[in-house]
Amino acid sequence: MNDSPIPLKEYLMNKSGHFGPYGGRYIPELLIPLMEELEAGFDEAIQDENFLKDLKNLYNHYSGRPTPLYYCENLTKKLGGAKIYLKNEGLNHTGAHKINHCLGQILLAKRLGKTRIIAETGAGQHGLASATVAAKFGMKCTVYMGAKDYARQRPNVFWMERMGAEVIPVHTGGQILRDAINEALRDLITNPTDSHFLHGTVCGPSPYPKINTYFQKIIGEEVRNQLMEQEGKLPDYLVACVGGGSNAIGLFYDFVDDLKVRMIGVEAGGKKIENTAGKFEHAARFQHPEVGVVEGFKSYFLQDEHGQVGDTKSISAGLDYSGVGPQHAYLHDTGRVKYTYALDKEVISAYELLCKTEGIIPAMESTHALVEVIKLAPTLSKDKVIVFNLSGRGDKDLFITTQHLDKENFNQFLKTFK
Amino acid sequence: MNTLMTHIVAGYPSMQESEQIALTMLESGVKYLEIQIPFSDPIADGATIMQANQDSLQNGTTPEDCFSLMNRLSMKTDTPLLFMTYFNIVHHYGVEEFCKRAQEVGCWGLIVPDIPMDEEEYDHYLELCKKYKLNAIQVISPITPEHRLKKIGEVASGFVYCVSRTGTTGARSDFNVSQLEYLENVRKHVSTPLATAFGLSNRKQIDQALKKADIAVVGSKIIKVYDEDNDMQNLSSFLSDLIQ
Repeated sequence: MNDSPIPLKEYLMNKSGHFGPYGGRYIPELLIPLMEELEAGFDEAIQDENFLKDLKNLYNHYSGRPTPLYYCENLTKKLGGAKIYLKNEGLNHTGAHKINHCLGQILLAKRLGKTRIIAETGAGQHGLASATVAAKFGMKCTVYMGAKDYARQRPNVFWMERMGAEVIPVHTGGQILRDAINEALRDLITNPTDSHFLHGTVCGPSPYPKINTYFQKIIGEEVRNQLMEQEGKLPDYLVACVGGGSNAIGLFYDFVDDLKVRMIGVEAGGKKIENTAGKFEHAARFQHPEVGVVEGFKSYFLQDEHGQVGDTKSISAGLDYSGVGPQHAYLHDTGRVKYTYALDKEVISAYELLCKTEGIIPAMESTHALVEVIKLAPTLSKDKVIVFNLSGRGDKDLFITTQHLDKENFNQFLKTFK
Repeated sequence: MNTLMTHIVAGYPSMQESEQIALTMLESGVKYLEIQIPFSDPIADGATIMQANQDSLQNGTTPEDCFSLMNRLSMKTDTPLLFMTYFNIVHHYGVEEFCKRAQEVGCWGLIVPDIPMDEEEYDHYLELCKKYKLNAIQVISPITPEHRLKKIGEVASGFVYCVSRTGTTGARSDFNVSQLEYLENVRKHVSTPLATAFGLSNRKQIDQALKKADIAVVGSKIIKVYDEDNDMQNLSSFLSDLIQ
């Protein structure tokens, strides 16, 4: 399964920033010194006990780690198969796992003498977490957001602005996450000395995949200890949604060399997995695998026959992205992780099920993982354990979920509220 | 006569017009011409050229159309013609196939800003450019460190593109020749001619730039001039003012 000569854990954070044919640093010359500086700073920081102490302190006392590993007893009984645990990253400060790498990167930015943060955001969760840490560390913060996301995630825009961030809607391209990333890169090219690009996932040029993996791996490390305490064993299955892939890497990383632990990544299947007249109705990169070099790295990208990157569609802004982290591309090719997808309509019914059985409101992104759990659990015996990552909580999606589940009343409320 | 390199986005505003613009440029006496193959995610380009990329793609421009354009132009001129694009276009076509095709249609060099020499062992881009006799144009910025200047000097071919400021492409009023002081240091490591780009928009800036550099590049300003009135005659006299 793993054809690398070293343990997979080591390989996924290797010095060269290449994972098989994927990864790398495909960026304009102007950005190369910055990435070299960032990498050197990171390599040094994680050897520094004080840095690690500061990080742990922030994880525990600012964000609220460790997050619970919760046994979904009702859901397990209802599905009648494997035991289901959820890792509740939604209980982090700001409501999702994104805060993990934001805390790590802002400490790094401070160490490198940077005074300004540039971030891109899809659902707004990463932008929110970036604005949060920038406020805490007294740095200026500019967040780029595709104009479409800007409109559909207005509450997060509001929160970011309250914390002092400047949120800029991006009107180019499909006006979603990819366009926001492009714009953030342009800002960095223009302001390379004072600004740190706080990349929000395990994509982008090296060393970002490595850095964000390092700051997210705490998820899996906690799961290992917590499950050992509760069940006295390792999980049989790990399930996580995959947009860029940060929460999935966070959950998977600590277990990649435990070959008995099976792993499943779930992409956004959107309305349907087939393409319509060359247009994508989904964001399922592994269902139409095509290698590309975009936004600074080599991986799988949804693109047309000429290599133009396509716009994606999903009910969840956080998974609405045409590329996937290079480590995931490698894990896909080696077969270590299986990648599947969930359709928008499956996501809505899974969302309702978790709300009603466990009293937990999941983010649309994380609900994709739940869809797979609902399919998988009944096929397994009761002694098996599935852990899925609830990467975020669902309050941010109010304006989307209401449109699917309570449209008339909610829109009436909005009207009368005015 | 000023040594100028100008730029078009193939298929913008239309394939026919971009060809006309290219011919006007060649008649005006530009020394190099850069033909951009449009890409959906042009990260090194500013607003003007990015929009032109999008519009050209909307018009349905394909890499094959750009090869045909290059072919028609190269038959009419000896002026060196270059392709500018992003690496995904080359990679998707197949690096070797792309280079081979580029040579066949009379291309002189490639400017691909997002394929640094560090990725050579994975993509063999420089090796394949050499094999098909294409100049792989390297880019240098004011913050390129000494150790990289040295390495770039070793692989430089044709000329080296030196940006005059940090930032994406785009005409700017604040071009300052002091931003080109670093070219003196670049010459210690690089023996090819040096082109300077990003932000040049008028005769005065070009005269100043050419005191430090060998080639002045004018890009997005020309798109703006043409977009104003779509008049080839006005474009021609604008170019003459810059060159003569």
